[in-house]
Amino acid sequence: MASHRETDTSLWLHNKLGISTDSWAGGSICSQLNPEVLKNIQECFVELQTQVKLKFLLSFFQFSRRNLEEWKTELEEILEVAVVDGDPWVAMVAEILKTYPATGALNMEIGSATDEYTRKIFNDLANDLRKLVKKHGETGMLPLECPYLNKTALFTVVGQQSHPIKHFTLKRKPKSAALRAELLQKSTDAQNNLKKN
Amino acid sequence: IKLISDAGFQGEITSISTAAQQIEVFSRILKTSVGQYSESNDDDRQKHIQECARMICHGQHTFVYSEVLLNVLSQEPKGGPSIKRLSQEITRHAIQSGHNVTAIIMGLNGSAAHPRASQALSSMLSRNALNPADITNLYKLYSATDPPPVELIRLPQFMELLLDSLFKPGVKLNPEHKSKYNYLLAYAASVAEVYKKNQRKNTNRDELKATMQALEKAHQVCTTAKGSTELIAELGTLYQYIRFPVVSMGVFRWVEATVLEPSYFKLSTEHTPVHLALLDEVAAVNPLLHPNILDLLVRLFESRQDELEILVQLEMRKMLLDRMVNLLTRGYVVPIVKYIKQCWQRGDTDISLIRYFVTEVLESIAPPYTSEFVQLFLPMVENEEITGTMRGDGDSDLVSDFIVYCKANYVVVS
Repeated sequence: MASHRETDTSLWLHNKLGISTDSWAGGSICSQLNPEVLKNIQECFVELQTQVKLKFLLSFFQFSRRNLEEWKTELEEILEVAVVDGDPWVAMVAEILKTYPATGALNMEIGSATDEYTRKIFNDLANDLRKLVKKHGETGMLPLECPYLNKTALFTVVGQQSHPIKHFTLKRKPKSAALRAELLQKSTDAQNNLKKN
Repeated sequence: IKLISDAGFQGEITSISTAAQQIEVFSRILKTSVGQYSESNDDDRQKHIQECARMICHGQHTFVYSEVLLNVLSQEPKGGPSIKRLSQEITRHAIQSGHNVTAIIMGLNGSAAHPRASQALSSMLSRNALNPADITNLYKLYSATDPPPVELIRLPQFMELLLDSLFKPGVKLNPEHKSKYNYLLAYAASVAEVYKKNQRKNTNRDELKATMQALEKAHQVCTTAKGSTELIAELGTLYQYIRFPVVSMGVFRWVEATVLEPSYFKLSTEHTPVHLALLDEVAAVNPLLHPNILDLLVRLFESRQDELEILVQLEMRKMLLDRMVNLLTRGYVVPIVKYIKQCWQRGDTDISLIRYFVTEVLESIAPPYTSEFVQLFLPMVENEEITGTMRGDGDSDLVSDFIVYCKANYVVVS
């Protein structure tokens, strides 16, 4: 039987986080949290609605680095309960957040997750997609930063790029070549004029 | 929903909000969607990116889960970069939809190990705006002896903000801080790091100084040149510095903002305005910008220019076609021929413009051709309406030569 305090916390969380079904629209609860409230949340966590659980976990992203450090122990205790939650989404999100309070980095080792189902879901998907990605490795697009990079830097990011297909031989330079020469001549003349003046 | 999914009909599940409730169902849809992206060709890739992004950004939980997965996949040496791009496009979509994803992105990119850099970046990215205090902090970190990894400031959102602050018309930068913006952008663009077993072995800054100088000079020209006469005088300088990819990006951004001004063509007096001539140079030095250049040319080509006389409008469009032909000779072939073909098939483009394009291309090219090119281009060359007037009475003219050559050497699928 939940204590009064836990019921209050649970009710408060449902009111704050349980109204909208949009998981992006997280209500802001950060200012009302402290170690004691977090302890209560841990104790009533299992009984919360799935949606509330998810939104609470996702609200970690709104916490400042200082808050994360301050509440590290409490947050990690909640995550311990959450990684084995009956709802696979809650377990997955908790697994991803496992390292977040301590390091600020997300857990990339989902393949060796605590919960067997989480592990399986992730590994099956990652393995299937890995095959596909390798198979089509030659085609595809480059990361968005690539057009900015000097040759040497580009090479360290994506390696040697294959040459584009040659669709025809060029027998005559396009009109733009003549225009370029003409403009450069004008540029030199203009520079000379500026110097004279 | 689970039953439909189990039976293998991922494509039939159109309501993402229902599908996203079950991780198993969502994972299958995600697999289908990422698979479609990986297998797609240039034509439908954008469509698949948009669909994938919409689905992944449905909720914050779907976003976090998918981004972790894509991050793991992007480490693959083969195909990884393409997945990284997908992940970046999805992040961009999330930002454009008004979601603050900074904490998630920073949790994924390894910046946690560099708290000071991470804090400065987070503060700017979450507001989507730069500020001198955070820039100064980053500048200090990146000019010290053991700087954080360059990858942290190679975030597309951050580089775009830096580029805009230096090249977007009308942006005023405090002169005192300008060199720091410049330094950080040049650093991100030029420094090459070598890693072995996740340890940084070498930081090559050989090109940093030259890149900085180029950015500085180009920025100066773009922000001070008022009219085309002044710009002409600086053209030699610009051509020289555009060879640095980051400068070509900056110049492109500046040209784009300038020529999209509604009155640009009305006020222009030259046959080819200098800004557009600069695009030819950008196309020559930075092949990775070809899609962006074509996109801009198409927007201009299709823009209404009601204030110009009909003949002047036609001349302006021919001038834009000259830019497209230049882009084509620089190696961006299939998307351009496809675009013109589409204009012809839609029937909304003056046929004389299609004829002009076909003539210009025929005058520039010689065999051997790829079969893909022939399949695309030959139907326009054969079309009586387009090339009828170009065929001579004798045996030899460009049109007949091309048709004869293609018929003799390729199997043309109609």
